[in-house]
Amino acid sequence: MNAIEIRNLSKSFRGMYAVDHLDMTVPVGAIYGFIGENGSGKSTTEKLICGHLVADGGEIKLFGRPHDDPGVRVRVGALIENAGCFPGSSVYQNLRMQTINLGLKNPDDEIKRVLKIVRMEDSAGIKFKSCSLGMKQRIGIAMALLGDPALLILDEPINGLDTDGMRIMREILVDITKNLGCTVLISSHILGELEKIATHYGIIRQGKMIMELSAKDMDSRAQVFTTLKTRDTAGAVRALSERFADVRAGDGHIRIFDVDDTAAIVYYLMKNGHIVSEIKKNKVGLEEYYIELMSKKEGE
Amino acid sequence: MTRELKFESPSFKTRIKGMLGVDFYRLFHTPLFYIFLAVAAIIPAMVSAMTMMPDQNGNTMEPLYSNVWQIIAASKSLYVIETIADYANMNMVFIFGGIMVSIFIGHDYKSGYVKQLFTTHAKKQDYMISKSLVCAFAMACMCITYFIGGTLGGLLVGYDTSVNIGSLIIAILGKMIMSLGWASLYTFLNVIFRKYFGVSIASSFFFGTGILIIGAAAVVESLSLPTSFLNIFLYGASVNASLASGIGTLITCITVSAVWTVIYNFLGTKLLSHSDVY
Repeated sequence: MNAIEIRNLSKSFRGMYAVDHLDMTVPVGAIYGFIGENGSGKSTTEKLICGHLVADGGEIKLFGRPHDDPGVRVRVGALIENAGCFPGSSVYQNLRMQTINLGLKNPDDEIKRVLKIVRMEDSAGIKFKSCSLGMKQRIGIAMALLGDPALLILDEPINGLDTDGMRIMREILVDITKNLGCTVLISSHILGELEKIATHYGIIRQGKMIMELSAKDMDSRAQVFTTLKTRDTAGAVRALSERFADVRAGDGHIRIFDVDDTAAIVYYLMKNGHIVSEIKKNKVGLEEYYIELMSKKEGE
Repeated sequence: MTRELKFESPSFKTRIKGMLGVDFYRLFHTPLFYIFLAVAAIIPAMVSAMTMMPDQNGNTMEPLYSNVWQIIAASKSLYVIETIADYANMNMVFIFGGIMVSIFIGHDYKSGYVKQLFTTHAKKQDYMISKSLVCAFAMACMCITYFIGGTLGGLLVGYDTSVNIGSLIIAILGKMIMSLGWASLYTFLNVIFRKYFGVSIASSFFFGTGILIIGAAAVVESLSLPTSFLNIFLYGASVNASLASGIGTLITCITVSAVWTVIYNFLGTKLLSHSDVY
């Protein structure tokens, strides 16, 4: 069973497709990284899943049920654009309202539990409007975690956070997925952070899903490359190009793709009179993969 | 970590209990509610006191009312008013209430909390019903504080207190019952204008004044229909709850309020179900 199954979903605003016949499959238990540039349709898709927007066409199923089934929707937690809290009310009051909304027994224990997960145990009394952006995002996650959500939809939860905020958020997300067993759909621009937690990816462009793959697939597709530095970059590139298929130079460094044996590279360069001063083995990350995929699509 | 996934559809009762719980919690925790309760009490007291104030030449103004209970309800059903005194009675609660409801519902959208509600409540009727009931409760409370303020103001000024107590109680109860119909109208207006906070307030104020009844009264007159025909409208039935009320008035109020509540809730639910919620 899939947590989210979308077929042929479309949504337009003033005749322009924001989501264009999109298909999407999120397996149960996945941390699904939803990637796309600004305006690509990520938030619109998430809002459609949560029933905030009405689709022009297509089908959305959550855990095999129609997405407007009250039984499944009550098990969806969402943080879309902002936490959706009353600024003049305290963190506790905002969470309390959500516990009432969900009809939870032992609301105070629930509030304590979610505040602990988002590392805000001591902030219950603070007014929401006095919280920092990072705190507000964490409160939004706490709201989404109340009850027993089977699916969490998090729209750009890392954006705008400082380095420490990002680290805390990453730890929280890892905790949630490890300990709570929720399926998480998370969109973000910060691919480096997403790469650390996602088990699946969906790449959307101009409202269309251009690729869905698991982190394992991603790993197997990711190119291995070696970065090295020599005194004579141009000469070394010439020499390497005679032996290796994909050699690129830039920023004073040389990159040799799809060659696993670094010793062979060093030996070859030495034989041709080049001394290697730096060498490092790398793998193409999500960000590089995404950029390459996007540039390929633009070229098409 | 994997776990067994069970999805039980909550009953209508469970859903509405959750939504009502949130709305009541919000209502009792927002200063807005208490401010409007105070406004509803102060305004009639001020209107009473002002009628006995001397004018610029030092002469005492002609009293607006002859009886303390006229501040609560008009002596008879007045669909088209002639003086401000005809207008200034408990029906003003429906204007204050309109503004309060607009701000209350508007904050759902402004804060983004509406996203939480609509994520977890797939049925849009939950939202309409809950808002209508909670806002009706708030307006009924305002009727009570209006009654207290108006009565105290009238007694302090020294107006006559003679009244048919049964008619007075029916008039007050009738207006409190009409709060449900009015709250449903305002909830519906706020759903229509949910993206425009200012327009929501203005439209609620406009409809709350009952200004449209003047046009309806003209139509009724030109068609030679009885004026009681105007009781099918919210404002008409509210005005009909006067100091000359009988049990029929109460039945009219219950029927009209209930029918318009169903109509506005149905329309609001349809609108929310077939359009983007924010």
